[in-house]
Amino acid sequence: MAATAAAVVTRPIAPEQASLWSDAWRRLRRNRLALAGVVYLTFLVVVALVALIHTPYPTYEVGVGIPYQGPGGQHWLGVDALGRDTLSRLMAGAQISLIVGVGTQIVVLAIGVPIGLAAGYFRGWFDQVVTFIINLFYGIPDLLVALILVFLLGPNLTNIIIAIAVTRWMDMARLVRGQTLSLREREFIEAARASGAKPSKILFGHILPNALGPIIIQATFGVPAAILFEAFLSFLGLGVPPPTPTWGSMAAEGIVTIRIAPAMVIAPSIALSLTLMAFNFLGDGLRDALDPRQRR
Amino acid sequence: MASPILQVKDLQTQFRTHDGIVRAVDGVTFDLYHGESLGIVGESGSGKSMTALSLLRLVPDPGKVVGGRVLFRNQDLLQVTDEEIREIRGRDIAMIFQDPQSSLNPVLQTGFQIAEAMLAHKMASKTQARQRTIELLKRVRIPAAESRVKDFPHQLSGGMRQRAMIAMGLANAPSVLIADEPTTALDVTVQAQILELLGDLNQELGTAIIMITHNMGVVAGLCTRVLVMYAGKIVEQGPVDEIFDRPQHPYTWSLLKSIPRVDALRHERLRSIEGIAPDLLRPPAGCRFHPRCPFRIEKCFTDEPELKEIKPNQFASCWVTMDRARAEMGADQLLDIRPGAASGLEPGKLVD
Repeated sequence: MAATAAAVVTRPIAPEQASLWSDAWRRLRRNRLALAGVVYLTFLVVVALVALIHTPYPTYEVGVGIPYQGPGGQHWLGVDALGRDTLSRLMAGAQISLIVGVGTQIVVLAIGVPIGLAAGYFRGWFDQVVTFIINLFYGIPDLLVALILVFLLGPNLTNIIIAIAVTRWMDMARLVRGQTLSLREREFIEAARASGAKPSKILFGHILPNALGPIIIQATFGVPAAILFEAFLSFLGLGVPPPTPTWGSMAAEGIVTIRIAPAMVIAPSIALSLTLMAFNFLGDGLRDALDPRQRR
Repeated sequence: MASPILQVKDLQTQFRTHDGIVRAVDGVTFDLYHGESLGIVGESGSGKSMTALSLLRLVPDPGKVVGGRVLFRNQDLLQVTDEEIREIRGRDIAMIFQDPQSSLNPVLQTGFQIAEAMLAHKMASKTQARQRTIELLKRVRIPAAESRVKDFPHQLSGGMRQRAMIAMGLANAPSVLIADEPTTALDVTVQAQILELLGDLNQELGTAIIMITHNMGVVAGLCTRVLVMYAGKIVEQGPVDEIFDRPQHPYTWSLLKSIPRVDALRHERLRSIEGIAPDLLRPPAGCRFHPRCPFRIEKCFTDEPELKEIKPNQFASCWVTMDRARAEMGADQLLDIRPGAASGLEPGKLVD
């Protein structure tokens, strides 16, 4: 009897380290739509990576097929107006979409998170200024801001990412500010202050980890929004300049000849739609997985 | 009991609200000696927690320490820079809070949080901190400390969480530990264990403890000296034995009277102090306790009593004092403790 008692004391009582993340992953896996999103996005990333080293035809080479040729054995998704292979260009376009989507969110996080944390934690005049600027940016049409920025900075991939991020950082800043405002009143923040933690430590070591769930969700929803925005800019001819293939510019080129070569529009549109859907399903799944209390 | 390690002089903490100024702490003065265990008791809203938070300049908005001095190691904690007070927090004066559930960051490992308390003051390297964290957890008697350091707060029981909080408080071997109602959120057996632990640490490490509580039993078990606060002021202070045996302020007396007794008769009602704690926006004139005091006299309505030495080391701010109430009214036999119930004292009879 004594031996068992000793064994009970020395053995760790919680055998499994069920961390927040493994818990969330378990819940995410149960969500079929989110899982489908993950699978599709993995596929897309693989395609984009493969396109770096191999595409069925060279992306920029004209005249690999008869212009306006429909889908067939040689060219699965047809050939565009200049005789370029649509599938090859679609694969390369996935790179641009992913880079823009993820790149924009990285910039948005880099701007929005520190600003939101500082505004929510220090409050006072800084918060007022930040809130004012956020409202100001919400007031200006984002397309206008993006167009002007692209025009001023010049149309290339980096500038387009910057332009989209400038129109999208407010959501993140506002979310982080709100989270910080509520978290700063929690007792463990007071306890951290009482133990002499620096403000930077409190912000990034205590508040940020607690706000990570909503931030990840927000960023996941931000990616498709940015991809769509880039496609829209490209469609208007203000995106990444040709001949770099982007889904938006491919659709724009095809729209004129939609009657004779519908595949030129349909292929990039479907790719775009599936990607947007996949990110949104993933975002929904993450929201349910990271915040189980919100679920019905 | 040679020289005080912490001297608080005429501390004033106010909250500016839309309706006016709330004087949460109104002229509190006391000394804390090396290795001492000092209790601060009072009802909710008496200013005891605010006093503690004021010492470390942690008063929440819109509160502000507007006056007084807090002398610690020849410096006034109310005057030092933000950087200096930050260094003192957790290193020299640590604090543990009421609810261990919410005082630990839910997304960080418990051991990591304790180690961080050391790293924040560069008291140890990362490996040393990890080592010492396990020692601390053992010291506060958490079983299987080696595996517990990696646990998240939700994996610990309430008592263990409070032990972990105490370990965090002791991480830098502070000379003063402020415990703000550390046992309120715990059940009675765990309370007893935590108090025993605090008592032992006080004895072994010589850490001076300021114990803030509304529980007289906690004070009796742990403290050597007591401050009784009412409406932002100290109404009585003295050695714990004296305060329990012969309280001089009617408020202290009432508090002691309202401790539930194990030997109470079956249908005996629990005693409470009549009335409610005063609105600090508009504190009563005269003695702040007079609207609830069974022994009040005319003078209590108009004149505010000063804290004065009634017996050696025992101070009370009362015009009547319980010695007189006992002698003239048999206060201890008094069953009816409604306001003014026993005020048989004629104003004229007051010898002053």
